[in-house]
Amino acid sequence: MPADKAKNAVAVAIHRVSKRFGSVAALDDVSFDIMRGEFFSLLGPSGCGKTTLLRSIGGFEAPTAGDIQIDGQSVLHLAPYARPTNMIFQHLALFPHMNVRDNVAFGLRMKRTDAATTARRVEEALALVRLEGYGDRGIDQISGGQKQRVAMARALVNDPAVLLLDEPLGALDLQLRLQMQVELRRLQRQLGATFVFVTHDQGEAMAMSDRIAVMNSGRIQQIGTPAEIYERPVNRFVATFIGHANLIEGRVAEQRADGTALIDVEGLRVAGTAQALAAPGASMLAVMRYEKLQIEAGGNASVAGTGTSTLATVSEKTYMGAALRFVCRPGVGPTLTVDAPNTEAGRAICEGDSVRVSWAASEINLLAE
Amino acid sequence: MTSPASGKTPKPFPGVRPIGRPFWLLLPGVAWLLVFGLAPILFMGAVSFWRSSIFGTTPDFQFGNYARMIEEPLYVELLVKTLRIAALTTILSLIFSYPLAWFLASRKGAWKAVCVVAVFVPFWISYVVRTFVWLPILGRNGLINQTLMGLGLISSPVEWFLYNEGTVYLGLVYVYTLFMTLPIYLALEKIDPKLIEAATDLGARPWQTFRHVVLPLSWPGVLSGSIMVFLLAVSAYVTPRLLGGTSGIMFGNMIANQFLSNNNWAFGSALSMTLVAVVALFLLVVGRWVGIREVFTGGKG
Repeated sequence: MPADKAKNAVAVAIHRVSKRFGSVAALDDVSFDIMRGEFFSLLGPSGCGKTTLLRSIGGFEAPTAGDIQIDGQSVLHLAPYARPTNMIFQHLALFPHMNVRDNVAFGLRMKRTDAATTARRVEEALALVRLEGYGDRGIDQISGGQKQRVAMARALVNDPAVLLLDEPLGALDLQLRLQMQVELRRLQRQLGATFVFVTHDQGEAMAMSDRIAVMNSGRIQQIGTPAEIYERPVNRFVATFIGHANLIEGRVAEQRADGTALIDVEGLRVAGTAQALAAPGASMLAVMRYEKLQIEAGGNASVAGTGTSTLATVSEKTYMGAALRFVCRPGVGPTLTVDAPNTEAGRAICEGDSVRVSWAASEINLLAE
Repeated sequence: MTSPASGKTPKPFPGVRPIGRPFWLLLPGVAWLLVFGLAPILFMGAVSFWRSSIFGTTPDFQFGNYARMIEEPLYVELLVKTLRIAALTTILSLIFSYPLAWFLASRKGAWKAVCVVAVFVPFWISYVVRTFVWLPILGRNGLINQTLMGLGLISSPVEWFLYNEGTVYLGLVYVYTLFMTLPIYLALEKIDPKLIEAATDLGARPWQTFRHVVLPLSWPGVLSGSIMVFLLAVSAYVTPRLLGGTSGIMFGNMIANQFLSNNNWAFGSALSMTLVAVVALFLLVVGRWVGIREVFTGGKG
């Protein structure tokens, strides 16, 4: 391995990349860096440009503008076979006319690696994905999860500078998908490799990534750690795409020195943390995640004016197993949905009950609209 | 994933119980085979032991017809030559058809339909016409001679364009090449483009991708196309008749002569039976080779 393969170096630099298909912009002036050894996810709805970006890194799409560098070298002029990347395809694209071993050996053989080295590295790769002894199996003789592992081994055996993953877990059932998520994370940590993972599944991105880039309409909406993106979404799209939130528009009633602000929503006062100072009267969006709200029965002692609670009536209750979901109607203001942990106190609350819904100002984000 | 991998060869009758099948359902098929397949061959086989003379063909059981065929070198030589022509026609068709099939398979959208139709439309015309059309092109006063003389490149018409083995190759390849193109095209069509991307991603250059992914996956098409063209070419009659002259004659012409001009049905049947036997042997050998091949490429189990 080259000596400069240290951590804290940029593995992939995306610089002002645009891609147009006719009049449609699949990627619109996208720039960011992916660090070495990072598990980086591109997250967004279908058609947001995440796959186009991944395929551009791999060499299967040519950007109309901008530059892509891997380990400091521009790769735009390189064909896919000459790039230091390997891809795990959405439907895996294992070669049906070869057995497991020949699939895994393919990349090394194309580079004319000698037979002894190839055999050794193929066995190592199969061991890495826990498929020892499966070399002679045909591709149609193994299960879906095993095919996943073969696809991983086939890519990783080439020791790529960057591994590109194009929703490889999409076709698996839930249990297997969760299992493969853990497996992928283990592999990435064990190898210290740079993974770029495309997914539309926010839970998957959250569970696996060091950092996530949320994309929509060919643009980056936000880049950050899963916690940053979840706790501090920068706009309405990110707030809605990840997790469940009450999105409530109001006008700034009071801006406080500690960074919190109070907004007025149809008479309901909501205190939250503003990411930028806003003038009184300005329109703002409160992001109130379902599980950041608390619910308690009765609740006659309303702390009016602080903007951290309201009295309400439960209009709908849904049992979801791990959580209980309450739709509450405050006396004034919009409907609030609350996810409460499945506890005895929570289960005791019924539809039609009077409750108090409360929250901490630090947990509520106020976004400038 | 539960979706079957492409290129997988289905097992014959998987899961069929060996007893208690309603075998009478097979009767129409069996009857068809008996009447149109087996009966003519049995009849021809019987006639090949009969005796033909100027007074007609009379039932007998003697090996004279076969003996004559072996004793006179002409017939064996012609059979060998016919096999050679059929084999070379197959190879030439393959060389011509593979790039054509590749071209068709790699077109997209409406263009593909246009290209496919453009390739296939000429083959809706009778193959006799398509063979005959070479005469006004290659003949003494044909298109090519006229053009060359008009350009002043030659002073008198070239005679060897027609009526030799070369013309037979030209005619056979032209008439039968689509029987090669079609199965190869269908095989190429079935290849998932992602497999080609995957190969490229894994470091395979275009030639390597072709050699290690495209060719093996289109191999069944190549084989079935080759068998078709070989079988059609080995029994060719019209093409050598129209284009071959005396030096381009093939085994089929010899058989036809026995029936049409020599009135020697018995000897004609013996020649036919020999050709059937040789072709059957050929299919057996190829069939076995294909079987081994499929095991070799991982289709076992």
